[in-house]
Amino acid sequence: MDVFDTSTMKGVPDRYAFSFPIQMASQPKRLPNYLRMYRRRACLTQAEVARLLGNHDGANVSRYERYKRKPSLETALGFCAIFREPITELLAGTYDDAARVIRGRTRQLALKVRQTNPTRRTILKLESLDRISNQ
Amino acid sequence: MTIDLTGPTQKPMRLRRVLAIDPTHRGFGFAVLETPDRLVDWGVVHVRSDTHAGCMKRIGQLIEHHQPTVIVTEDGEAEGSRRGTRVRKLIAAVQRLTLDLGARSAAVSLTKTRHAFSRSDPVTKYDIVVAIAERFPELRPVLPRRRKCYMSEDERTTIFQAVAYATSPL
Repeated sequence: MDVFDTSTMKGVPDRYAFSFPIQMASQPKRLPNYLRMYRRRACLTQAEVARLLGNHDGANVSRYERYKRKPSLETALGFCAIFREPITELLAGTYDDAARVIRGRTRQLALKVRQTNPTRRTILKLESLDRISNQ
Repeated sequence: MTIDLTGPTQKPMRLRRVLAIDPTHRGFGFAVLETPDRLVDWGVVHVRSDTHAGCMKRIGQLIEHHQPTVIVTEDGEAEGSRRGTRVRKLIAAVQRLTLDLGARSAAVSLTKTRHAFSRSDPVTKYDIVVAIAERFPELRPVLPRRRKCYMSEDERTTIFQAVAYATSPL
C-alpha cells in the first residue's frame, strides 16, 4: 500500500493529490443547487446574501453552495426571493432526486389502485397519478 | 433561465457539463459550462507552492464538486503552442485523470479557438475576451482592460480563455 505525506504532497502521484477517491456520478445529472451561480450573477458576496437572509455571516451560505448542508424551507424561499428564480431551478438536483423518488412511488400506488374496483373516483385518481409519473 | 430536461412524451435531454482549464504561471483559470449555454462557475485559482501537485489537488476538487462530463484543456502539443514543459505536463496529467475517472477529455488548440470566433479576420485574445463577455454578461464585472504593450497579461484573461475552450467545437 502506498503511503504519502499528505501534508506536503511531495512525491504524491497525480491521481492521489486530492480527496481520494473522487466519486463521479454514474449518469450526468443537474447539480444539487445552483446558488453559487445565481449569487455570482447578481454580483453578491456570501456575506451579503447571508445578511439578506437574516444571518450574521456567510458560513451557512458557503455550506449550501458546497453541498455540505441543505437549506431549510424558509431559507430556500429566501433564496427564491433574492434571486427571483423558482425553487425547482435553484435547488435543481435536489428537486430532481425528490421527483424521481415520487415517480417511483406513484407507479407503485397506481398498480395498487388498478387492482381495486374501477369507479369514477378511481379513474380520476389514476389520471392524476399518471400526470405525476409523467412529469 | 429554466432548463426543461424532460417532457411528458420526450426522452430526457442528455445533460453535458464541460469543465475547461487554462493553466497560468501560478495556478489556472477555469470555467464550467452546462448545456445548452449556461455558465455555471468560473474563476482563477492561485497555488502557492509545488504548483503541479497544488493544481492537481484543486482540479480534483473542482471535478468532484461539478461532476463534469467533459474536461477541456489547451492542446499543448499542437503546432504553434508556446506552452512550457510544466504546463504540458500538467495538461497531460489532467487528461490522464479524466480517463481514469471515465469522463471525456478534449484538447483544443489556440488556433482552433481563434478560428471559432472569426473565420475571416485575424482576432486578438482581447477580441475573444470581449466577444465572450458579450455572450455571457455575468463575466462583464471581471472583464479586463485592453492590454498595453508595457503591461503583463491580466490574470482574469485566463477565465475568458477557459470559456473559449469550453465553447469551441470539440
